[in-house]
Amino acid sequence: MKKWNKAAAALLAGTMALSLAACGGGGTAETKAEGGSGDGGASAGGQTLKILLSEEPGEGDALTMMFNKWAEETGNKLDIQIIAYDDQLTKFPAMAKNKDLPDIISTTRLHQLYPEEFVDLRDSFDMNAFEASALKIVGKDYVSDKITGLPQQFTATCVFYNKDAFEAAGLEAPTADKPWTWDELYANAAVLMEKGGVKYGFAADVSRARYDILMYANGGSLTLADGDSFKVNVNCDANVKTLEAFAAANQSVMPQAIWSGATADNPADYFKNGDVGIYLSGSWNYASFVSDISAFKFGLMPSPKGSAGQSCIIGGSALAVPANAANSALGIEFLKWMYTDENFKTYIQADKGLSSLTSVIYEPDTDDGKADYAVIQGEVAFVTDTFMVDESSAWRNYKDNEYRDYLKRAVSGEMTAKEALDAFANELAESSSWAIAQ
Amino acid sequence: MRKKGQGFAHTRAFWMFVSPALILFTVFFLVPLALAIGFSFTNYDGWKTMDFVGVKNYIKLFTDADFYATLKRTFVYAIVNLPFKVALPLLVASLVCSKYMYGKTVVRTFIYIPVLLSALVAGITINWMFGEEYGLVNFIIQSFGGTPLKWAMNPVLATTVVSVASNWVSIGFYMIMFIGGINNISQELYEAASVDGANKVDSFFRITLPLLAPTTFIVLLLSTVNLLKEYTLVQGITTGGPGTSTTYIIQYIFNQGFTQMRYGYASAIGIIVGIIFIVIAGIQFKFSNSGGEV
Repeated sequence: MKKWNKAAAALLAGTMALSLAACGGGGTAETKAEGGSGDGGASAGGQTLKILLSEEPGEGDALTMMFNKWAEETGNKLDIQIIAYDDQLTKFPAMAKNKDLPDIISTTRLHQLYPEEFVDLRDSFDMNAFEASALKIVGKDYVSDKITGLPQQFTATCVFYNKDAFEAAGLEAPTADKPWTWDELYANAAVLMEKGGVKYGFAADVSRARYDILMYANGGSLTLADGDSFKVNVNCDANVKTLEAFAAANQSVMPQAIWSGATADNPADYFKNGDVGIYLSGSWNYASFVSDISAFKFGLMPSPKGSAGQSCIIGGSALAVPANAANSALGIEFLKWMYTDENFKTYIQADKGLSSLTSVIYEPDTDDGKADYAVIQGEVAFVTDTFMVDESSAWRNYKDNEYRDYLKRAVSGEMTAKEALDAFANELAESSSWAIAQ
Repeated sequence: MRKKGQGFAHTRAFWMFVSPALILFTVFFLVPLALAIGFSFTNYDGWKTMDFVGVKNYIKLFTDADFYATLKRTFVYAIVNLPFKVALPLLVASLVCSKYMYGKTVVRTFIYIPVLLSALVAGITINWMFGEEYGLVNFIIQSFGGTPLKWAMNPVLATTVVSVASNWVSIGFYMIMFIGGINNISQELYEAASVDGANKVDSFFRITLPLLAPTTFIVLLLSTVNLLKEYTLVQGITTGGPGTSTTYIIQYIFNQGFTQMRYGYASAIGIIVGIIFIVIAGIQFKFSNSGGEV
């Protein structure tokens, strides 16, 4: 039987390879011809670094600035390709099959999803130079100790607020000593809509990572450690209650269409337009908000408390080098240039975010900037143990977007919170072979 | 001997004419079809995993409540929209063929322009008009003191917007087909009917409509298939939401394959849906006398 299985798979693979060769084999030789330096040392210039980014860089984008600076200093050229994070998951396998891989990728997941496809950077870099948590969450393979990406943008979830709207509504922003509860946040969001001149009191990115900070704050988790394995915990009572409260908030103080999957609108635009009072997002938005928002003042507040305390999710994107890229040596050469103290300092000052190098820190140049940065730094302390267990389970290797889609169906009212979480729990249990905890 | 040589020449000419279409048909239809059938018996994830799983995907598919819900939604959408897909272009074609109509060319051109747009561009344009937050229609409603409509959040309104958009982008194409059919009808028939005392309505229902049957059948067939495989337009307008209320079967297949990386399962759905579509087209052929005349 096994023989037949292998034969059937080989036949299919052969047919597929033939059709792929017919469609796109022509570009391979040309790409390889561009490659040159394979020694890992500084190139003589004149080479082209193929880069894959996840979004069109905005004006003053820190990473693009660094690529341009490197190209100028070394005399190399850049070939930048943009593919959104979600699409990278489907395009990367196609690139790998067609041997048309970029030399360097800015990614949040690919290097952890396909660790065997990326260069182990421990061979080229001193890992002690990096923040341990950044390296663990952003750069490390889920299973082995392999470091498949260097943390480039080390981010934390955070809560932005419209200072003008708060003033108009007579609200005082919470402080690190006296954070709001989530119930207080929802109540004050209603006040903002009534008196603060905003259309929506509260908005959150359509990302399970943003929603999950509510889950962790209320003591929930996606998985539970079970010896060397895990159990599925996503449909526990605490999580059902959290999702019910979130769905209710969507109907009262949030733009429900966003979390119902009825629009592709970006809530960040709503916040920038002054239509949202409080916005749950992440530190990566800070630099663009500083440059884009001029109609009102904004600030950052500490994350609200749930029944189990405050919570934060850290993450970010890494720079990773595909092992089979035509010019992976050039990719590593760029990384060696980028992760020097001097160059990384230039990067982090433009990025205005958390630094992943222990020897480099962002230094805000305004009082407001200092206060905001202190809030972001403070958030990192609220990373929960439950989040770390979930990360170590690598549950996203089994299911990922399905979770967010079920959350959307609960928010839209198509399913109850329990139905949605039960359905996802069953799917995750089936894919991972983990038992459901309750 | 001479006869045999001529026969070979004819055969060679036949294959030379047929080969470009045959090659394209093979590369872009037969090979993908064979691959899809093969994948449907595997757990292919799009890259590294591809084990033979027998009919597991098909068993799962027939017990998948989401699949049935999506298929039902797709059929309801197609059935509700089908009359509009046929009637509106027929009405417009009749009007622009009338001798009492002025500016026929301009009208035809304006009605045909949406056909030239990519479905995604058309979808984004409609989304821009019916956007809940910053949409043109809600802006106009608010300008007149009205309450903005929840185009995106209300499943019925969201489906209505998709339906309007679908008819808007296709009306020009089917109108052209009906215009061709109407122009082929002999004027003598209308003159004879007029002499016999038939009015315009009688002429339309007793001459135009029956003689347009072959064209109507083609429009019906194309509309049915296009409605059943509606995808790009929906992606541009509602992305399938709210929830999954505007997620139709092609988007469901796409999500299973390209978002959830279940190529094997998506292929199985594709095969079953393909068979369903073929059966529907077959039924249309069987029950339409005009089918054989096309």
